[in-house]
Amino acid sequence: MPELKVGAFYNPHLGEALAGATGIDHLAMADPPRGDDPWWPKIKERYTLLLHDYLGQLSEPLDEHSIQRARSLAELYHTPWVAEHFQCLHTEDGTYNLNYVFPPLYTEEFLNRFATNAAALQARLDQPLVMENIPGFFDVAASRIPEPVWLRRFFDRTDLGFLLDLPHVWLEAHYHGADPKVFLAEFPLDRVVEVHVAGVAEDPDLAGPWIAPIAPSDEMLDLMVHALARCPNVKAVTFDAFSPTLTAEVLFSSVERIRRAVGN
Amino acid sequence: MQDALIRALADAPYRSSPSWRLQEVASQDRVERFARFLARHFYHERLVHFFKYSRALARVTGRRPEAVLTGADFEALLPTLVLGSRASAVAVAGLAVEHVRGGDAAAVPYLEDLLAYEQGMIVVESGARLWRDGSLEPDDKQRSIPIRVEGTMLLDLQVDLPLVLPALLRPWTAVPQPPRRPIRLLIARSSRGRVSVARTSNAIATLLELADGRKTVEDLAREAGLRPAELEATLDELVEIGAVRFSTGS
Repeated sequence: MPELKVGAFYNPHLGEALAGATGIDHLAMADPPRGDDPWWPKIKERYTLLLHDYLGQLSEPLDEHSIQRARSLAELYHTPWVAEHFQCLHTEDGTYNLNYVFPPLYTEEFLNRFATNAAALQARLDQPLVMENIPGFFDVAASRIPEPVWLRRFFDRTDLGFLLDLPHVWLEAHYHGADPKVFLAEFPLDRVVEVHVAGVAEDPDLAGPWIAPIAPSDEMLDLMVHALARCPNVKAVTFDAFSPTLTAEVLFSSVERIRRAVGN
Repeated sequence: MQDALIRALADAPYRSSPSWRLQEVASQDRVERFARFLARHFYHERLVHFFKYSRALARVTGRRPEAVLTGADFEALLPTLVLGSRASAVAVAGLAVEHVRGGDAAAVPYLEDLLAYEQGMIVVESGARLWRDGSLEPDDKQRSIPIRVEGTMLLDLQVDLPLVLPALLRPWTAVPQPPRRPIRLLIARSSRGRVSVARTSNAIATLLELADGRKTVEDLAREAGLRPAELEATLDELVEIGAVRFSTGS
């Protein structure tokens, strides 16, 4: 197994603990640093930082304001790559906003839109762009292309990197009654640059599991090891938990378990 | 279709309407479940962020604002919610205020002011926002009329609340207390959703009241008793924070 970097998300309420921690190679930044964060200077000095903020939804072109914001954050962090998501979280006119990642329709139209707009964003960045898969809780009749096929066509067309979110794959397998490892094999694993691992917990509204800021299960870590062995170009694994309810104990123990599982 | 689906997830009345249901886009049960999950997540994020001072005081009051999201009153609201709408923000914030107010407030004599502030923040943040450039609004102030942005709020408080807020988020044993002196705050939201809070003067408050979309900049300068250069600078600041915008005069 290749030497992998193992990290987590920067959670500002755990700033003091993270500023003095060992055993974490990188921190993903979901929000820009706050001006009143006393731990930010040390965090910036100590860690490799990954840009993982909301830059825009690439079903539409990013405007100049958003592109400049992305460039500015990428430079601030000296990020080795920039991440965005295959997401549509607001209507095109901005009237309705879910404030949560939601997948696009897997159609030719959205494939063209995402490929065009992602390529345009990549052309304006000084770092590689990687794109993350998003889970769907339900099937949409209008989605004509299976998600793994849609993703493979996207990456073949754009040559961008893939941020493989394993819990997202696990959830989709769960809600379709499929074996996660069998489902995972359909994804373009040769494109994977970074892998996300996280915990899942029962959600009462969904009457089933969903992403939660808890430790990954042994089953999830097993899926991770299985996936990493099939991702020849993967560089990093990130414990994907970003929540005010996340505890330091869960963050640090999860990173340690991930590191042990990958053999670092 | 994507927009219709996003709207259905965000807009409960639309989701229950025949115009949505007849489209048979996806399993209604799954859509409803995910919509409820999204609504709870949406307002949990906002209550945790905008009511963070009440959360810090929960060990004294015994009331965490976000607890309302698992209560019967929020369940009753779910069929009416439109995520991000002002009406829904008012309703959810109202639940949180009533919940916290019902706790042990004896050690927090300024609790009402604090709740008014937090409620103001969450309500001002609501509403549609600009996700991409391309506004058709002209920015030539000489040909435009200044208008107070809907939702901009002036908040009169009995205590100097901003002085105590940072202390509430640091470790404390005795509840931090603010100076007892009246202040007025301006709370506004930029077109891209950034909420700003500033102490404001009577002159600014008068300016905002006068900016009714009919008075020109010259009218405002005259009626507010401001020099034109002073007014221009003030309007620039108010535009930047989203309290005022310019529309084309007729």
